[in-house]
Amino acid sequence: MSAIYMNMTIAFMASLTGMMMYRSHMMSSLLCLEGMMLSMFVMASLITLNSHYTLSYTIPLVLLVFSACEAAMGLALLVLVSNTYGSDYVQNLNLLRC
Amino acid sequence: MTLNVYYFLSILFVIGCVGFSVKPSPIYGGLSLIVSGALGCVIILGYGGSFLGLMVFLVFLGGMMVVFGYTTAMSMEQYPESWVSNVAVWSVMLFSLFMEGLLSYVWLNYDYIEVIVQFNNMGEWVIYDGEGGVGYLSEGPTGVGAIYSYNYWLMFVAGWSLFAGILITMQIIRGN
Repeated sequence: MSAIYMNMTIAFMASLTGMMMYRSHMMSSLLCLEGMMLSMFVMASLITLNSHYTLSYTIPLVLLVFSACEAAMGLALLVLVSNTYGSDYVQNLNLLRC
Repeated sequence: MTLNVYYFLSILFVIGCVGFSVKPSPIYGGLSLIVSGALGCVIILGYGGSFLGLMVFLVFLGGMMVVFGYTTAMSMEQYPESWVSNVAVWSVMLFSLFMEGLLSYVWLNYDYIEVIVQFNNMGEWVIYDGEGGVGYLSEGPTGVGAIYSYNYWLMFVAGWSLFAGILITMQIIRGN
């Protein structure tokens, strides 16, 4: 494989690590989720473009569309949290703490 | 040392992805994601995928990032935290840049890395356009249009699940 796929994998790993570690905002984790999706889209597009396998152009497109829906759902949850607590800090999500 | 310009752009892509993964304030994270998205689009355009690059700009940046932008404006704080205002943020950013630079140095000198998968060349700058396939048509829109002919079941399932997803989102946002 070529070097650019390695960089896309590293970008995916960086965004995944960023999504798993919260700091203060929940919005930052949603942005890292979008970054994961973007790196997967670019990787799938490049593999399809380099191999000239025409039918798998639908894969990055459907991935993009599903990611848009998932972003909408994440933002709906964020808006709900923000309406309840006034901001989207993750320290507000402490109902299950004893 | 063979230099492929798309490898350099993908290094910038990784730097952009690290830029929002260290989690500054979301407005700066959104800016970094826009930069990464633009760079990803340029990489895809360079390999001949004009339709897919347009999809990145229209759907990803123009659709999703706009929504993220004004949702971030809703949850804004008075002093947003940038990349240099917190020790944790800029130290992790510097460390990630150093690691990426080290990886690029190893690449450009040895041209071979094997972690689990073997990465063994820089890639081609000019892509060989094979005979056959779709001929004079552009491959991108032809392949995407195949979602209506060869992949119609995918179209049906995706459409139905997105419809269900929209109803779920509306029920979530209704609250109470």
